[in-house]
Amino acid sequence: MPSCLLGMKQTIILNQINRMSSVLTLNGITKFYGRIQALNDVSFEVPEGSVFGILGPNGSGKTTLLSIILDVLKANKGNFLWFGHPGSPEQRMKIGSLLETPNFYHYLSAVNNLRITNSISGRGSDGDIADVLKKVRLYERRNSRFSTFSLGMKQRLAIAAALLGNPKVLVLDEPTNGLDPVGIAEIRQLIMELKESGHTIIMASHLLDEVEKVCTHAAILRTGVLLTTGHVEEILVDDDVIELSAANINALADLLTQLNKNVSVDTKSNTVHITFPKGTANLGEINSFCFNKGIILNHLILKKKRLEARFFELTSK
Amino acid sequence: MINLLKTEWLKIKNYPAFWGIMAITALSYPGINFLSYSGYQNLVHKEGQGGKIAKYVLGNPFTFPEVWHTVAYCCSFFVFIPAVIIIMLITNEYSYKTNRQNIIDGWSRRQFMTSKLIDVFIVTLIISMLCLIASIVIGFLTQKESNAGMWSLSYYMGLFALQTFSQLSLAFLVGFLVRKAFIALGIFIFYFIILENAASGILRYYNYDFRRFLPLAISNRLIPGLAFFGKFDPATYNKSFADINPHIFYTIIFTTMIWLICFRINSKRDL
Repeated sequence: MPSCLLGMKQTIILNQINRMSSVLTLNGITKFYGRIQALNDVSFEVPEGSVFGILGPNGSGKTTLLSIILDVLKANKGNFLWFGHPGSPEQRMKIGSLLETPNFYHYLSAVNNLRITNSISGRGSDGDIADVLKKVRLYERRNSRFSTFSLGMKQRLAIAAALLGNPKVLVLDEPTNGLDPVGIAEIRQLIMELKESGHTIIMASHLLDEVEKVCTHAAILRTGVLLTTGHVEEILVDDDVIELSAANINALADLLTQLNKNVSVDTKSNTVHITFPKGTANLGEINSFCFNKGIILNHLILKKKRLEARFFELTSK
Repeated sequence: MINLLKTEWLKIKNYPAFWGIMAITALSYPGINFLSYSGYQNLVHKEGQGGKIAKYVLGNPFTFPEVWHTVAYCCSFFVFIPAVIIIMLITNEYSYKTNRQNIIDGWSRRQFMTSKLIDVFIVTLIISMLCLIASIVIGFLTQKESNAGMWSLSYYMGLFALQTFSQLSLAFLVGFLVRKAFIALGIFIFYFIILENAASGILRYYNYDFRRFLPLAISNRLIPGLAFFGKFDPATYNKSFADINPHIFYTIIFTTMIWLICFRINSKRDL
């Protein structure tokens, strides 16, 4: 076989492997509401088995993006692929979704609402309906009308609907909205369990703490523009910041300037911060350097920027 | 299709408002006919000349086969009652945002609209059955034994079903476009009872024939006035019979257009 054909074959195989490992691929999604641009050329991939957080302040386009991939809204430009294929009703049947608010028939009970979910999606059975209601602690109220539920109960019913039939992919828009602290912890635990069992979860949230705790990957949006995407660790870590302390922090700061000019003193916490390019800081080296120069450190840690700090840094530019 | 039917059944089987309005419809459709029948009986059985004149003018509208025509004609004035159900069934989907949820859960937009088309079809079927039962019961009350020609005008049941389907489709279109239950109900009932009649009156005054193409008039022409109207204005009455066949065609075209518009809009617009 000629070498150019071999090369093409390899490219095709590589593309196929790449596509297989991505649950969702977005290509240049653009959406306008009249003159207002809600999404501007957004592209990213959601790897299989990841918990993928879509982050952004209010109005950044998170819900619009999820609505497009669930065919509730039409994109003006761009396309998306589920499992390497254009979106279709058959694919949506296999995806458990909670979009924006819990959408149920107010006059029907929890069980009857889930029967409709089951009838449309084909996911689950009567036994599964009981199981998911137990999982979200609504089994005792299974025969109550949806209109009698509190906001938290409505949200839990929506999560139950998304979990029905144990779909391998879940799309959750602000899943902890309206839940009390116990409910939030339970949902977080549930997401961790789903992740452990190999589920892919795409989750929009503005609760950074929540994303930081459960997500493996994230995309950050601001006014419809994708600012960054990737592994949470990659997004979190910008520069390496080392926090040190010693009996005399001014002497410590003077000494450290010999190593690196990016040194600052925080008099409130009585610490010195020294910044290195990402991945270049060596704690052992710094410790021996200070010790050899006669300064004994009583505090030395590599600080990762918290997602919150990184988020504000990115979205306030 | 079975799945759509099953899902729609799940939506309505525990919907109290649906059954409440169906009960009102089930009472009002036969009720209005029995009331008319009773009024007719009182009139023709009056002592003296009055009863005889009434009998001569009105004829026997409640005996077979004319009863099919009479009951269909009386029922056709009350389509706005089941229209309430149709408007509620579609506007509920928007109020509860379940139109979005149905799509998210795996229906295509076309399946969602087809499920609503099924709703309109089922309500039409129920209303037509009520009309059919009322015709048979009243027919046998006035005539104890069957005769060879008793079914000859039963095609009015088919015409009534077509008229009901067309007018309920129009109600659906209003609910589908307006999305808010009370506004949609207000618009439809105002149009049904007042606006089209007023428009038709004005057009008649200026002698514009296209008044017969107004949205409700297209299908109203499927069921002409009762036989005794012909005694007052035979030419107009005979023309109204001649209008039936072309208006079957116009009604089918008009109703098809309504559903094509609904399917088209639903496939394009954001939910």
